[in-house]
Parts: sequence; C-alpha cells; structure tokens
Amino acid sequence: MHISEGVISGQVLTCGAAVAFIGTGIGLKKIDYDKIVHVAILASAFFVASLIHINIGPASVHLILNGIVGLLLGFAAVPAILTALLLQAVFFQYGGITALGVNVIIMAVPAVLVHYLFLPLLGRSPKLTFTAGFMAGFFSILISCNLLGAALWFTDQNFFKTSLAIIAAYTPVMVIEGIVTGFCVSFLLKVYPEIIPVKS
Amino acid sequence: MKIMKIGKGFKKQFMELKKTAVLLIVLIFMPVTIASAHRVIIFAWAEEGVVFSESYFDAEKRAANCKITVVDENGDIVHTGRTDKNGNYSFKIPDNLDAGLMLHLDAGQGHKAHWKISLDELIADSGKSSVEKAVETRKELKKSPPVYKIVAGVGIIFFLAFSLKFIKRKRYNKND
Repeated sequence: MHISEGVISGQVLTCGAAVAFIGTGIGLKKIDYDKIVHVAILASAFFVASLIHINIGPASVHLILNGIVGLLLGFAAVPAILTALLLQAVFFQYGGITALGVNVIIMAVPAVLVHYLFLPLLGRSPKLTFTAGFMAGFFSILISCNLLGAALWFTDQNFFKTSLAIIAAYTPVMVIEGIVTGFCVSFLLKVYPEIIPVKS
Repeated sequence: MKIMKIGKGFKKQFMELKKTAVLLIVLIFMPVTIASAHRVIIFAWAEEGVVFSESYFDAEKRAANCKITVVDENGDIVHTGRTDKNGNYSFKIPDNLDAGLMLHLDAGQGHKAHWKISLDELIADSGKSSVEKAVETRKELKKSPPVYKIVAGVGIIFFLAFSLKFIKRKRYNKND
C-alpha cells in the first residue's frame, strides 16, 4: 500500500502533498486537548502495524489499521497517519518521502470516511459494535485500494485493471483488518470506553 | 484550593497515562510476528560477464514475474525482461560499456526499487566486490527491523503529541 519513490508523476505528488497539508491542518485544529494522547496511541499502533505479519496459508499479509485509527479519531487521523507514515519511510524505507502526501491521502481519506459512516453505530449493541468495526476495517482498505488504483492510473493508464489487481491482492487484508477492528472496538468499549468518541 | 485542583488534575492525567501505557503494550504485543514488511528490494552482482539479480518483497517472498528495466548512465534502455518465479533475472553484460548500469524493478501497485552496479564492478574479473555487496544485502534483508527503531518511532510520536498538548494548553486553560 506504500507507494515508492519515482512511481507517481510530479503533478499528482504535488496535489497529494497539498491535500495532505490541508487535511493535516484541519486535523490538528480539530484535535481535542484531552484526546491528544489517544491520537498518539493510535498513531503508534498504525506505525507498528506494518511490521506485523499474519500468515494465511502460503500468503503473508500485514495490517494497515487505518480503519480503527479513522473510526476513533475522525479528522485527527490525518496528522496521526502522516506522522506514522513519515517515520515508516525514514526508519524502514516503506514508501518514498516524496510520495508521502499521496500515501497519506490513500490511507487517511478512507479513515475519515469510515469515521462519519460507522461511528454512529458504535455502542448500540455488542453485535452492532462488532459489525461497525468490521465494516470500518473492511471498507477503509477497500477505499484505500481504489485510491491507490486512481493514483497509479496516471502512470499505468488502466484504472480498472490496476484497481482489480490491487483489490484481489488485498482482499485477505480487508477481511483480517475487519475482524481485528471489530474485536478491537468491542474490547475498547469494555475496557477503555473513553477512547471511543460515543455520546453517552 | 488551587493546589487541590492541580493535584486532582495531575491524578486524572496519571490515571489516563497508566491506562494508555497498558493499552499501548496490548496493541504492540497482541499481534503475531514482527518482520520486515512491504519493502520491495532488488540486488545484483556481476560474475563472469553476466549480471545476476534477485528481487524480493521481504526476506522470504520472491518478487516473481516483475518487470525489470536495465538502463545505462544516460537513461537509455539496455535490457528489459521479467523475473522468473524465484525472482531472478540475469543478462549478459553488453560490450563497449563506458559507465555503470542501473536495474529498475517494477513490482506493480506502486512498488519500485533499483540497484546500481558501477563500471568497476562490471569489468572486474571476478566481480568479487559486487558479490560481497549482494551477500551483505541478503543478510540485511533477513534481519527483522531493529527494536530500537520501533521504540524511537513510538517515542517521537509521543514527543510530538506532548508538544502539541503544550502548544494547545493555553487555549484549553482559557476555556476551562
């Protein structure tokens, strides 16, 4: 999911950087003083998630966790994801520094979307909470795949073929991410409800 | 009265930090294995007039059937081809070379990597130095990401978070 250096054209990189910059500004402004530590926790989880491999048969996938980060943070997910991606690029060479803006958009836009789509469902009933978590994890990766396909469209010229290949490769990740997000949200609601921005 | 209020505030912050620490530990250690992820890497070496290359997604997963483009210093394409099922690709060193070569690997979905071989490595009889460099890279690949980098990354995130908290404190105190 991390776009490397030299893949995307200059115009797309510039647009990506500009949108990521604006998103980060909005995110920083919207972060609630009391929730800053939560943002740091989720940014740390996102930062570490790419290092974690889950083996499904012969395939080996890694988590992305933009679903849970977005679900719990909303717009604050943008600066969280930006920081984590920058550190991943510097420390582990995942994705290029110049492609940072585009990578932020690919992962943060779905994060913000799932926040507004699925957050209202949390805390109503245990089943609904798990389902909302699952959907947030699943759809965040699905939307990320489409955005990645769109970003590569400008170089590959074949949006549908590229997107389908990406979606096929990431389908196991969508399901795993959905399950992990579902369990995490259910677990957090029991042990650390303060982190979930649900109106009580 | 003010001291009591500060004391209460500190206690609340401390309790929150304690919960945060527990949650962070759970989040970090919950998952399965830690390994180098999602980096695509190519490395190459010259031996007896042939350039050999190996491409990987990580230490164990070979990048099969991926496009390789070999260019010279001017950016002119010298060779193109695809890696085999083991991620290997080799080609004969072209005659009359006056500069090094660059191998570009395009593994699709935004993953690209490159490896440069200097002219010295290409024309050296044994190509020993480039083989050694490739072996070194292979060894590096097998290593998991160092723990100090993970800890440093998490540390930087929390440092930034507390810096933001420090910046936002004035507005927060005003509203309080």
